Amino acid sequence: MAVLKIENLIKDYGALRAVNKVSFEVHSGEVFGLLGPNGAGKTSIISTITTLEKPTEGTITINNLDVTRHERATKAVTGVVPQELVTHGYFNVEEILTFQSGYYGLRKNKEKIHSLMQQLELWSHRHKKIRHLSGGMKRRLMIAKALMHSPQLLLLDEPTAGVDVELRYSIWEQVRDLKKAGVAILFTTHYLEEAEKLCDRVAIIHEGKIQKQGETKELVRKLTSRHLTITLKNKVEYSHPALINQQDNTLEFRVPYSTKIGQFLSELNFRNDNILDMKIREGTLEEAFKYVLNRGEM
Amino acid sequence: MTDKSIKTQELIWTPFLMLLSREVRRFIKVLAQTIFIPAINSFIYLLIFGVSIGKNIKVLEGISYLEFLIPGLVMMGCMNNSFQNSSSSLLGMKFGREIIDIKAAPLTVQQIIWAMSLGGLFRGLVVGTVVFLSGEFFYYFHENAWLVPVYPFYFLLFCIIGGLAFTKLGIIVAFLAKTFDHVSAIGGFIILPLIYLGGVFFSLENLSPFWVKFSHVNPLLYFINGVRYGVLGVSDVPVNVALWVSLLGLLVFHLLAVWALKKGSYQPW
Repeated sequence: MAVLKIENLIKDYGALRAVNKVSFEVHSGEVFGLLGPNGAGKTSIISTITTLEKPTEGTITINNLDVTRHERATKAVTGVVPQELVTHGYFNVEEILTFQSGYYGLRKNKEKIHSLMQQLELWSHRHKKIRHLSGGMKRRLMIAKALMHSPQLLLLDEPTAGVDVELRYSIWEQVRDLKKAGVAILFTTHYLEEAEKLCDRVAIIHEGKIQKQGETKELVRKLTSRHLTITLKNKVEYSHPALINQQDNTLEFRVPYSTKIGQFLSELNFRNDNILDMKIREGTLEEAFKYVLNRGEM
Repeated sequence: MTDKSIKTQELIWTPFLMLLSREVRRFIKVLAQTIFIPAINSFIYLLIFGVSIGKNIKVLEGISYLEFLIPGLVMMGCMNNSFQNSSSSLLGMKFGREIIDIKAAPLTVQQIIWAMSLGGLFRGLVVGTVVFLSGEFFYYFHENAWLVPVYPFYFLLFCIIGGLAFTKLGIIVAFLAKTFDHVSAIGGFIILPLIYLGGVFFSLENLSPFWVKFSHVNPLLYFINGVRYGVLGVSDVPVNVALWVSLLGLLVFHLLAVWALKKGSYQPW
């Protein structure tokens, strides 16, 4: 079931078209990755979903309700982790979470507040003000705030930007748990390896427009090739349209996913006793991303 | 789940009360800044103008200058601090990006405005009370009696209307401001002169006809004189006129605050 549905979204800032006819859906129990370089329009999309910005054209619905006409109902089921760190000058961690809980109508929510603080390792910092927290702790607090009301839709705008490896893994684990619990997650990140690991589907956005979208594995298969590296016992002079690199007796081939490896090897026609080693590397989302950004539509 | 079904749940009062609680707790955390400094300022005004210089100033018939000054200072403290509370709280939220929490939460424009207004009003009334008690202290030593408001209902009513109007003005200014300078400029160049020229320190009887006309277009004159009527039973403008103009001022500021929240930027600085 589509929790978030965006149709033909356009967002203009004066003469600049930041988002250009973007459409996608995020389903319950799915992690959808929005990938793109800086200024691609990812944060503008998130800002329009949260009504921080008004869409110029197009519709955004959460649980089939238009976010501009049913602000309260749609916001009540949405959690947001913004890209920039939020600072609260006067209050400590526990107070901030209590306020956040109250903003979503949850007055007696101490159990959840305590459980989230423990889960995100904020417990020992609960009496500290934000300015006394490290960057990673601030990020954990922002995640705790977004999860306070058990949202059906979670918007994570580069949640792992600038955090250490340990926290990054912990965030990944949280995302996987939330996905299992049926939360629909919209995830933006610059780390393509992370997107490949976490996202069921991705959209690659460039200059405000979605260039490609689909299931992550499928997109990688469509837009990239496997790399077959063969090391021979004896150096041979070899020429083949799929050969992309040759160093001494090591040859690297690009093999499309549509071609079976066995069939390709038989095409190469190497003597079996001349093959010393053979490695296959799968295509990556990073390669697919580069391909889309460099060449646009296929 | 639709907006209609949510109304039966906890999304009306709890978010509003939580934001109100945040506003009150914010100024309580910085009491020195929010209560003590305004109280000391008023104490000094009362000492210099009310007691020292005030002996030689004639205002309304049968009223000492100290009596005249106390309600004006109470209202000045109440309005100024109500304005400061909502404007500085919102500016802090914009600067620290906390404004995103408010915008992303299921809080309506009316909930935000009323929670921030009542938080600001509470601070205004606390400061107003402290100023009134300081005034009572001086009055007792000067007149050997307590200053008892003649119409306590009007006294409280005008403090509430004035304080609320100024919290809404603070919301408008903070939402439309692009920098801290904008807020300081509006506070320093517009609001403070209007407060001073609104009859805190002088009666219209002491002014030339030109300045009397000028003062009559200053809405603050009506807020201040309403409070003065509540305390002394006399004022420069009829209490009914003061009440209607003050209520009109409150309505205009409220509508402008709604417009500012709908049209203003929630983007952090």
